[in-house]
Amino acid sequence: MDDYKFLFKVVLVGNAGVGKTCLVRRFTQGLFPPGQGATIGVDFMIKTVDVGNEKVKLQIWDTAGQERFRSITQSYYRSAHALILVYDISCQPTFDCLPDWLREIEEYASSKVLRVLVGNKIDRDDREIPIQVGEEFAERHNMYFLETSAKESDNVERLFMQIAEDLMKQARMTNVPRYDPNSYNVDSSSQESSCCSRLT
Amino acid sequence: MDELPSEVDLLIIGTGFIESIISAAASRIGKSVLHLDPNDYYGNQWGSFNLQALLDYNPDPSEPCDFRNKSFSLKNFHYEWLMEDQKEDLLKNSRKFNIDLTPKLHYCRGDFVQLLITSNIARYSEFRSVTRILTWLNGQLELVPCSRSDVFASQKVSVVEKRVLMKLLTSLDDILDSENTHNFKKFLESRKLSDNLVTYVMAMAGATEHTSLGEGVKSVKRFLDSLGRFGKTPYLFSMYGSGEIAQAFCRLSAVFGGIYALNQQNLISLDSEDNRITSLTTTKQQIRAQNYVTSLEQCSEKFLRPVKINNYISRAILITNKSILPSEQEQLSFLIYPEGTERIINVFELGSLTGTCPKNYYLVHLTSKQVTTPQEDFKGALGNLFSGSDQPQIIFSCYFSIPETSDLDFENVPENLFLCPGPDNDLDYNSSIQKAREIFEKMYPDLEFLPRAPDPEEIIIGD
Repeated sequence: MDDYKFLFKVVLVGNAGVGKTCLVRRFTQGLFPPGQGATIGVDFMIKTVDVGNEKVKLQIWDTAGQERFRSITQSYYRSAHALILVYDISCQPTFDCLPDWLREIEEYASSKVLRVLVGNKIDRDDREIPIQVGEEFAERHNMYFLETSAKESDNVERLFMQIAEDLMKQARMTNVPRYDPNSYNVDSSSQESSCCSRLT
Repeated sequence: MDELPSEVDLLIIGTGFIESIISAAASRIGKSVLHLDPNDYYGNQWGSFNLQALLDYNPDPSEPCDFRNKSFSLKNFHYEWLMEDQKEDLLKNSRKFNIDLTPKLHYCRGDFVQLLITSNIARYSEFRSVTRILTWLNGQLELVPCSRSDVFASQKVSVVEKRVLMKLLTSLDDILDSENTHNFKKFLESRKLSDNLVTYVMAMAGATEHTSLGEGVKSVKRFLDSLGRFGKTPYLFSMYGSGEIAQAFCRLSAVFGGIYALNQQNLISLDSEDNRITSLTTTKQQIRAQNYVTSLEQCSEKFLRPVKINNYISRAILITNKSILPSEQEQLSFLIYPEGTERIINVFELGSLTGTCPKNYYLVHLTSKQVTTPQEDFKGALGNLFSGSDQPQIIFSCYFSIPETSDLDFENVPENLFLCPGPDNDLDYNSSIQKAREIFEKMYPDLEFLPRAPDPEEIIIGD
C-alpha cells in the first residue's frame, strides 16, 4: 500500500468534448492525448501529491462517456469530495448547459462537495465565452473558477493542487472522520476497513 | 446531440438489474454495447427514487407503445399522506430519500458480494451492515440472536436450550441424511427446541410452516456461513438504496466502452425476419445488432406469447417518525415477520445512515408474496407494529404490486432476442445474477463472465 494520509475523490462533469479526460491525463500522466479516442477500461486515475508535509492521494474520476446522452449514473456523484464542472471557452453550447449540470449536481452530490468551474481550451484563439462571464457564473453559484489549457498544461497543476489543499484544510478542520463500524466498502483494495474486507 | 451508433454487437433495452449485469459482462469481454432506456432514470422496477419522483411515478403510462408492455408494469400503485402536516417538510427533503421499488439485501459471503469484489464493482458502492435481525413472537418484537455469543448472552434462551441449539447448528451437514420428516418446522420441533428457539431458527431460514427440511437447512447454512464477515448479522444493504447496484454495473459497462442513452422516447420497433431480430428502428435511424436483450417491461407484446402472470409481489413503503424498536444508536433492522402459516413478510427499516432518508425519519420497506392486495396483505403486520401510542406513526405510505416474472416462459421468441424478467421475491440477488449469467452464456459460450477488472494502479503509466 502507498504511504498516504488522505484520499479524496474528485469527479469531473461537463459536456462531451470539453476536455475532461485531457485534463485528467495531463495532470496524472503529463500527457495530452491527441484525438478523441475514448479511454477503455479506465475508471479513475490516481495521483499522489504533497500538501505541506502530507501525502495526499487524489482519485480522479471521469464520466466514462455517459455524459454524451446525459445518462450519468447517480452513483458517480456519491461520496465525491470535489467536483470539477468543465466547459469549453470556445464553444457556447457547453457553457449554456452549465445550469443543467448544476441541477444534476445538486440532486445527487453531497451538499458539502467542493465545486470548481473550469473553462478549458484557453490555447484556442476562437474564444466565445469571455473570462468575466465564467467568473460571474462561478461567483453566482458559489464555485471556484479557473481557466485552463490541458494542451499547453496551463493551470492544470494549479487546479488540482488547489483542490488538494482545500480538501486538506477542510479535513483538518472537521478532524479525522470517526470510525463507523457498520459502514463497509467491500472493495478488496480499500484501506479503511481492510481488516474485515480483505479477501484471501 | 450526437447520433447513436448504427451497428453494435449487442443492443440492450432497459436498465434493470439483469440487463445491467449483462451489459457490463458483454462490454467487459470487448463486445460493443449500446444500452438504451425509454425511461429517464436507471433501473426500471429495480430503481430508486427520491420522494418527489416516487410521487410522480407513473407505472402505467397511457400512450401505447412498442416499448412499454403494460402487462408487466407495476399494479395497484397508490400512495397516501397519513400526517399531512409533515408533508411540506418531507418534500423539502425530497432528495435525501432514495426509495427502492425493490429493496434487497446481500449475504456477506454470498456469490453476489464475491462478484462485486472480483469484478471491481465494489469500488462504486458502499454498504452498511444490517445491525440487527428481529422477528415477531407472541405479540412482540424479539431480537434474533445471530452469533454464538448472541446465543449465549440471550436471556430468553435457557442453558439447556443453548446446548441443544449449538449442537443443532453445528451438525447441519449430517441432518439431511438421517431425518424422516421432510418439513423444516416439524423437524425443529422434533429436536425438542422450545417455541422461542424454533421461531429464531425459522427466522434465520426465512421459513414458513411449509418450508421443506432441505430448503430450511440450506437457508440456515447460508445465514450462518455469512456471519462474522462484516458486522453482526449476515446481511449488507447498499448505501443510497439498492438501485445503486444496477447503476454500478452500468458504470462498469461504460468504462469498458458501453454507450448509454436514457430517456429514449423515439424508439419505434424491433423488426424481425425469419425468427431473428434484424434491427431497431427509431424515429431517426436504424440500429443493427447481432444480439438483443430487453426487459420484459420494455418488450413488445408481439414477442411475448402467451402472457400469463400468476404471481405478484406485494410491496409497501412507509415513512415513519421513529424506529419500531428504539435504541441508543441508529439501527438498520431486518424484521422477519411470519404472517399466518404460509407467508413471511420481509421488513427493512432504514435510517438516515443508509443514505435513503433524512435524519429523524425512518424508511420502512415491506415485501411479501401477494395473496390479495398489498393493503390487505400488510394490514395485520402494520396494525401490530404501528398502532400503539408508544409505537412509531406512519407519515406516508405507498403500496404497489410487482408482477413475478422470473419463472415465465414464452414461445417462439426470436433466437437472438433475450428477455430479462423483473424482480423476484427473494431476499437477495442470487437468482437474478444466475439469470444474467445464463443469458450471457447463451450469447457468448466459453467466454468469461465478468472477469476481474484491472486496478487503475495497474493501468497507470508514470505517476
